[in-house]
Amino acid sequence: MSHTFPSLSSPFTEPAAHASGLTKTYGKGEARVTALDAVSVEFARGRFTAVMGPSGSGKSTLMHCMAGLDPVTSGSARIGRVELSSLNDRQLTELRREKVGFVFQGFNLLPTLTALENIVLPLRLAGRRPEAEWLETIVATVGLAGRLAHRPAQLSGGQQQRVAVARALASRPEIIFADEPTGNLDSRSGAEVLSFLRDSVRELGQTVVMVTHDPLAAAYADRVVFLSDGRLVDELDAPTADAVLERMLAFEAQGRTT
Amino acid sequence: MLRTALRNVLAHKTRLIMTVLAVCLGVAFITGSLVFADSTAAAYRASMARNYADISVSVTPTLRPGASDQEQYGALDDTLVRKLSTLAGVASVRPEANGSVTLSAKDGTPIRADSMMGKFAAAYVPGADGKDSRYPLTAGRAPRNSDEIALDRGTAATADYVLGDTVTLAKDGPVLKKHLVGLVSTHDSRVNAGGTLAVFDKVTAQKMFAAPGRYTQIDLTATPGTSQAELADRVTAVLPTDRAEAITGSAQADQQSVLINTKTHSYERLPLLFAAVSLFIGTFLIINTFTMLVARRSREIALLRAIGATRRQVVRSVLGEAALVGLAASALGFLLGLGVATLLPSVLDTSGDLLPSGPLVIGPTTVLAALAVGVGVTVLAAWLPSRRAARIAPIEAMRTAEQPPSATVSRIRGIIGLVMALLGTGLLFSLSDATSATDDNLQTAMFGAGILVAGLIALAPLLAGPVIRLLGRLTARLGVVGDLARENTLRDPRRTAATAAALMISTTLVSGLAVINQSTNQALDAQAAAGLSADYIISTRNTTTAIDSDAVQRVADVPGVRTASPVADSTISAGPYVKAVSGVDPKTVDDVMKLQFLSGSIKNLAPGKIAVSHSFARDHHVTTGEQLKASIGPGTSDRDRPYTVIGVYQDNPTAQDVLGYRADVQEDSYLRDSVQRILVRTTDGAVSRDLEKHLRAAVSDSPLLKVQDRDQLVQEQAGVAGELMTMMFGLLTIGVLVSALGMINTLVMSVAERTREIGVLRAIGMHRSGIRHMIQLEALCVAAFGTLLGLAGGVFGAWKVSGLANGAIPQYSFSPPWATLTLIVALSLAVGAAAAAVPARRAAALSPLRAVTDA
Repeated sequence: MSHTFPSLSSPFTEPAAHASGLTKTYGKGEARVTALDAVSVEFARGRFTAVMGPSGSGKSTLMHCMAGLDPVTSGSARIGRVELSSLNDRQLTELRREKVGFVFQGFNLLPTLTALENIVLPLRLAGRRPEAEWLETIVATVGLAGRLAHRPAQLSGGQQQRVAVARALASRPEIIFADEPTGNLDSRSGAEVLSFLRDSVRELGQTVVMVTHDPLAAAYADRVVFLSDGRLVDELDAPTADAVLERMLAFEAQGRTT
Repeated sequence: MLRTALRNVLAHKTRLIMTVLAVCLGVAFITGSLVFADSTAAAYRASMARNYADISVSVTPTLRPGASDQEQYGALDDTLVRKLSTLAGVASVRPEANGSVTLSAKDGTPIRADSMMGKFAAAYVPGADGKDSRYPLTAGRAPRNSDEIALDRGTAATADYVLGDTVTLAKDGPVLKKHLVGLVSTHDSRVNAGGTLAVFDKVTAQKMFAAPGRYTQIDLTATPGTSQAELADRVTAVLPTDRAEAITGSAQADQQSVLINTKTHSYERLPLLFAAVSLFIGTFLIINTFTMLVARRSREIALLRAIGATRRQVVRSVLGEAALVGLAASALGFLLGLGVATLLPSVLDTSGDLLPSGPLVIGPTTVLAALAVGVGVTVLAAWLPSRRAARIAPIEAMRTAEQPPSATVSRIRGIIGLVMALLGTGLLFSLSDATSATDDNLQTAMFGAGILVAGLIALAPLLAGPVIRLLGRLTARLGVVGDLARENTLRDPRRTAATAAALMISTTLVSGLAVINQSTNQALDAQAAAGLSADYIISTRNTTTAIDSDAVQRVADVPGVRTASPVADSTISAGPYVKAVSGVDPKTVDDVMKLQFLSGSIKNLAPGKIAVSHSFARDHHVTTGEQLKASIGPGTSDRDRPYTVIGVYQDNPTAQDVLGYRADVQEDSYLRDSVQRILVRTTDGAVSRDLEKHLRAAVSDSPLLKVQDRDQLVQEQAGVAGELMTMMFGLLTIGVLVSALGMINTLVMSVAERTREIGVLRAIGMHRSGIRHMIQLEALCVAAFGTLLGLAGGVFGAWKVSGLANGAIPQYSFSPPWATLTLIVALSLAVGAAAAAVPARRAAALSPLRAVTDA
């Protein structure tokens, strides 16, 4: 499959998303919790990046802030060249609609819509007509042909998550955020979904950022960044599951000794 | 389990607010009407006790129909008064000459002209001190001769009279003018509640209301130690047999109480109807609420089951929760009901009955009724959801994913609904050939309509799909928001149907009533005009007042009058029926009434002969040429005489049920030789204000008389349906109110259930406004569904029932009031939109993060 994004064929080397000095705190006074502590990270275009860390490390918060779901306390979060903190709710909504795709742990499909309707929902919200050819491409990629008229309740978990991946791909976003996409799936379905995400990067030139705590899942990525206690602590290119596991264990050991 | 129930109620108190409000509304109406009835009755009893406090025994003449005043009141003279005052045990004797007069206010408008009651007249009978203790003077002096009058000070204030003015009044005939020389006060509650009181000097009052030198009544006060019954026996012993009788004060008060009870109970009907409707509609809201609560808590319930709760305990917990909600609603409704009770007198038109005011009386029955109804309805309605809760299997506690609501509707329900709807339709269709509103037919109609509505309620979940999909064609134009709204409404058809049911029932009732009301009004209009060819009608307001007989000639002499045809109105009793008879002059009647004779002719009308209306002929099984035994006026059956029927005419409201020869009717009527109507035909049908003024002058501007042209008559006829309108709009308001509560309830819950979904929509790019519009459209879909169904049921029912009215009102034809129906639809949709306001705003305010954080 030779389909590529026009924007990616340009010699533009700016990262798809970028955080610098990103800080997020919740609560006030005594109850104040720092979820992200001056995190700076780049997510390169056309790459599959995994964000890893133990629970409470701030990896989900990082994703929420980068995707424009949660406002940042200080620092900068950008998608392309757009600074998220400069946008109001309406502009943020449009940004998510046009430039961001989501895959959630709980699938989060609309139960009243068929698979196909779910896939084209972001396009319809934007008032755009889905291109038939592109739609066929993604439906074929995630292997849903023949299931398109089904409602989510009639699909298995793996199938639902594949619909969610197709939905994220449909509007050709600049970046897809996947939040523990395999968390609710058995290992076979999980592996399928991860392959689709990787294929979308390799074959369709998509950019994907995935939050996970599973070293096996992280091994599908091109690069892994590690978060601990709200800070970026390490990263790893072309990871293998063993290498990721090793690093994780190292952090935990470190955490215990300090 | 009671503790669980209590905890649940407290945990979901915001969820339950709408349910509480709906139940509370119904309870308020019940409490209000009961408290109102009790309070009014108590106030009446109190005022009666005051009015009869110093009356131990009253002597009244024995009623003798047809007797002259002299014969009637002959026994009650000063000789009898003196004789009574010498009886042992009599403390004081007070003769009275009471009656009724209609006063004109200073500007000429008659006061309480349309009411038979509350227009009191009395004689000023000074006691030993030269004063009448019943009517203490507050200004001026007592009337001394036939040119003078005193008024109750409240009456004078209402009529705008001051001392020295000339007061215009009439008893039952000519207009009288008298000088106002004094103002009095009275403790008679009927006067103080808005009645009028005129006081005359003794001689004048005797002439007016009894006979010269005679009284209408003699009141006696017993000495201490003498019982009322003892005194009554002693009095009876000295009364001339068959001419006067004695009645104790307490017996009179008792008679009044019975009268009052019937009256106050008749006032209960409307609020109780409102209560029934609001509670019935509220039932759907309760069922919906508890179904949603049970669904939302299914995991919790499953957990309870898993750790050992029995099914019965689960049912009891849900019902206990319902009982607590019902209790809270009853308490609140009870308080609200006290407000309703204070407002009721001004909402219901009670001025005709002069209800006394008094403190609110809260009887134990009222409290029990409020509690029983509030708790009973809530628990009964929650029974179905509680069964559903009991069916939740313990294994569901282990399931992680939420079960989507089942979109299936039981087939049995569909079949039952279909059978009921068909049965109802069939019953209504079976009436197509019926042309008379007999009780049987009416019962069938009510029954048919009821079953049809019940069938529609049962079918509603099945109809929701197709109807909302049809509506969805409209919402689809609004893009993805419209599609989502449609799909969300279809998601749980049972919930949608139950939410829409409230609106459906009220729309059915109101649209049905509106159609019948409109059709009846048009028929009455057509009828009022149809039977009449006169251009003006001069009429008394009842058969016991008369137009001065010289006035007929004066009216005929007014320039521009072609014919002035006098009509004597009375009643005619034949068998068990009492019908209205018009005594007419056969020579002139054709000029002023449009009479369509089915057989015979008015020309043959002569003494001893009558013509009868079509329905009278049918009810009494008489036809032209036959004889009918009947009596005219306040006679009894022993005064029946034979009348020959000389013709049968098409029912005509101007001619009434029977046309008689005028002299025949006048001879036996309530006021001998009197005329109650003058039908006036003008030259060329001219109608003008000047002419009207001249006609009024010709009848001495009497406060007893109405001068109306045809248009005014038609308008007055339309006013008859006023009570129906009050009921209609009352029902509409209640229906709309309870529906709104139900809709808010459903929407708030459904937003809460869909927090995650709404978060996803926001995350993948729906604007806040999109979310808001989606929720609003959902509400509109539900409202439109309920309204459409209700409209169909109501208009269809009214159309089928319209056949029944044909017999009663020949001009009746089915005519839907488009403007009113449009208003009803608009109002219902507006309710949908308004109900959505808060839930929609709440939904729109949800953060997109809820997609990932809300489990």
